[in-house]
Amino acid sequence: MFNVGISQAGKVNVMTSDKGGLTNEQIADLAVDKIVSISDQAPAHIRQQANQFREHLKNVLYHYLLLARKEERGSIIQVLESSGHKEMAEYIRRL
Amino acid sequence: MAIAQAMCNSFKKELMLGTHNFATNGNTFKLALYAEGGGGKSSTTATLGFGTTAYTTTGEIANSGSYSAGGGALTKVAPSVATSTSTATAFADFADISFTTATITAMGALIYNDTNSDKAVCVLDFTSNKTSTSGTFTVQFPTADASNAIIRIA
Repeated sequence: MFNVGISQAGKVNVMTSDKGGLTNEQIADLAVDKIVSISDQAPAHIRQQANQFREHLKNVLYHYLLLARKEERGSIIQVLESSGHKEMAEYIRRL
Repeated sequence: MAIAQAMCNSFKKELMLGTHNFATNGNTFKLALYAEGGGGKSSTTATLGFGTTAYTTTGEIANSGSYSAGGGALTKVAPSVATSTSTATAFADFADISFTTATITAMGALIYNDTNSDKAVCVLDFTSNKTSTSGTFTVQFPTADASNAIIRIA
């Protein structure tokens, strides 16, 4: 006889924002949650090390998310300015 | 509890009948959001759990931003199984889904097969109300592995 087990549905994580999109920090959290999962059963010193790695990873991701958004805004500003929309370009520069 | 996390009983049977195809070019699966306490459209309340057999509009949240009735289509990740162990767990996964510029309060969600008569797959309980106000509502699926993935068969 073969016994096939179907698990309970996995646990999802919900992230929400008000008056705008997710922040860089929220996106970094989402990414880290996807990359690093730490077992409750792991020995304490492994969990501690994993948590430190997780924090480091989050900081790196946060930095590059900021950079990516800034660079994208830079590209948009350039396109707007070169097509004569200087006022709109200035709005975006101030974001 | 009006919304209880569960792999729907009907889904387990339908797996044996070959009703659901999680291949990337297989069936279309959707995720619909639900509210408790009369927070659904027309003040309805969701009752979802292991006995849910198909998508229902009762208790579903109202249209807002990029969310419309029936919810959003999920992007499938091909099912996988580890081959390095003698007994391994197979699992299916979806890409995270976001509803933007939306005002939403939801307590849970239903994943269902949009291709095959909206048959239910599983119920997700957020355990508390999650709210976005003119913002983004993102549902992030767990890590796709044998211990955490959204759908696992051992």
